[in-house]
Amino acid sequence: MTRPTSSIIRRRTILTAAAAAGVAQVAAPFVWSARAADNVKIGLDNPLTGTFAALGKNELIGAQLAIEQINASGGILGRQVDLLVEDSTSGDASVAVQKANKLIDRDQVNFLIGNINSALAQAMANVSYEKGMFHIVPGGHTDSVTGTQCHWNVFRVCNTTRMETNSVSTVLLKSYGKKWYFITTDYAFGHSLQQGFEATLKANQGTELGADYTPLGTTDFSANLIKAQSTNPDAIILLLAGDDMINCLKQSVQFGLDKKFHIAGAQQELEVNLGLPPEALFGDWVFEWYWKQPGVPHVEQFVADIRKRTGGHVPTARTWFGYAAIHSCKLAAEAAKSLEPIKLAKAMQGMVLPPEVALMPNNPFYRKGDNQLMPTLFVGKSQKAPAGGDPEDLFRTTQLVKGVDAALSVEDTGCKMVWPS
Amino acid sequence: MSTLLLFNVFNGLIIGAFYALMALGLSLILNLSGVINFAHGGFLALGGYIAYTLIPFVGFWGALLLSPFVTAAIGLAVERVLIRRLYGRDPLYSLLLTFGLAFMLEDGTRYIWGAQSLPYQIPQWLDSPLSTEFFFLTGYRVFMMGLVALVVLGLFLILNYTRLGLRIRAGTLDLETVSVLGVNVRVLRNLNFGLGIYMAGLAGVLAVGMLGLQPTIGDSLIMPSFIAIIVGGLGSLPGTLAGGLLIGVATGVTTVFFPSASEAVMYVMMAAVLLVRPRGLLGEEGRF
Repeated sequence: MTRPTSSIIRRRTILTAAAAAGVAQVAAPFVWSARAADNVKIGLDNPLTGTFAALGKNELIGAQLAIEQINASGGILGRQVDLLVEDSTSGDASVAVQKANKLIDRDQVNFLIGNINSALAQAMANVSYEKGMFHIVPGGHTDSVTGTQCHWNVFRVCNTTRMETNSVSTVLLKSYGKKWYFITTDYAFGHSLQQGFEATLKANQGTELGADYTPLGTTDFSANLIKAQSTNPDAIILLLAGDDMINCLKQSVQFGLDKKFHIAGAQQELEVNLGLPPEALFGDWVFEWYWKQPGVPHVEQFVADIRKRTGGHVPTARTWFGYAAIHSCKLAAEAAKSLEPIKLAKAMQGMVLPPEVALMPNNPFYRKGDNQLMPTLFVGKSQKAPAGGDPEDLFRTTQLVKGVDAALSVEDTGCKMVWPS
Repeated sequence: MSTLLLFNVFNGLIIGAFYALMALGLSLILNLSGVINFAHGGFLALGGYIAYTLIPFVGFWGALLLSPFVTAAIGLAVERVLIRRLYGRDPLYSLLLTFGLAFMLEDGTRYIWGAQSLPYQIPQWLDSPLSTEFFFLTGYRVFMMGLVALVVLGLFLILNYTRLGLRIRAGTLDLETVSVLGVNVRVLRNLNFGLGIYMAGLAGVLAVGMLGLQPTIGDSLIMPSFIAIIVGGLGSLPGTLAGGLLIGVATGVTTVFFPSASEAVMYVMMAAVLLVRPRGLLGEEGRF
């Protein structure tokens, strides 16, 4: 029998515990798979836990489908391909960098893919640049990745934040008015989105009534919403991501703010809409890819393939990012006829994605000079699932915007690429 | 500005009441058993997911009623199988155990319900503000405040007017003597743990009415609970309640002036309290 004892906890122990609670939020499991020594290796360093876990999982599903297709069609340069997956966590750059180093140094991958979080993507880009590793950022949006901190070896599939704000700002200014209040997630992604909109406001003589930077992982937005409504804006612009966006939209509906003001933003994701109750599905946003594209070649097949892997769920933009990133590795290797990073990077510049990878109109291509993919952006409205329709049809595209029309010129991005001699 | 400040003080009290509910459950377990329950956030998430699963069968109110009990039942089993073995050992053992358990609960919920956030709908009549001016007083928040007040009152009555409560309070002061007097401390600890987890489960069901339901929902809510206990004073349930309310008000008011520090202000408060009054606002000297 256990002898009962009085509590022997000390305050110091509680403080240690509180500190460890912080560590708990960044600790994460490792994922690895068996692989043959002569196979081509692609390392994916992306969030599988934390606030971006759902996004990371969808990028992984797209990547896995691409690997399966590539291996079924003979692999890369005649060699089978292995996908090595690491959990970068959702917000700890040191973990993402440590995993990137592990993939490059110990696993000796040929390609590095990641990250969803802009800050982590930038940190990984700096590592891959130092080590001369060919690197594709599938879903980290901050402008600097292919802008002021661009590197010859780093390419990006998703849009820059400036492309997102530019594509939707005309709609917002026309429909909503010119007095905006920003609620912005306090890291690289939110900051650069806000900078984009601020430039738009300035160019159109608009007014920024205020801006609240909220820490990533904020659960309660009520104080920010109280502050925003007190300025009586034309629109409250939400520049948030993942679960933060869900929490803020839910709370703004409960406060009835959606009936008083326009609420909208730049980037929105299907993963967010799927987590919202129907009454919170409103506003004008940008989707970076959407599964419902009647008449666009290969999209239906892609949707069907993904449904088979996900128990019937449709692909999201994240699924396509993962898919396109992996296929880009193969396309680059085949164009370069090599796995050497410099040759891969040279071959990838200006490369147009074939229709079966592009899965969207307007022939997306990797722009020479900043390595940024120029895809098509889907501007539209969040909507409740149509009666009798697909329950995951939660967005209606109203306008397609060409990436080149929304992007800054290479000179204006601030990208000055230095190639190794 | 003064209206804005007043709004945020009231709003902070609402959020603080929610933090207090979580912290009270954590504090109950800590006070009697000396276990720092890191898995409290995991049980909170479990409460939300169980409610989500029950809603199609028993509706919103049925889920609100049943989910905390189901979560508490799981908590009782966990205490019986895992936690109990570590009583009387160095507190770091139980700390490490619950640390691991937190990961298991998070990954377990992710495995069963998926990583994707799930839509959780509350009744339409609760989902809107009660007045145009005080728009932050929504039906749901007022209901939540009322329920938290009821639970705190219920806890007060249990602890002060029932035999179980008397034993819990006595055990908190001197468990050895309580055992010598013939009280089965195993059962006492088990029931107390269940009571604490019931509160985590209830906090989970209430949280998903305002927040997205995802496996990490407990992570971001667990820190304010720990801080509420430290600020309020270890060993003091009224202190924990006060700590929760104070944190809510402090974060609300900070958002008015310096939104990006709304999270950091909790830690600043904790540091200030530890420097000026290390036992916490209402903690007893020498108790811990």
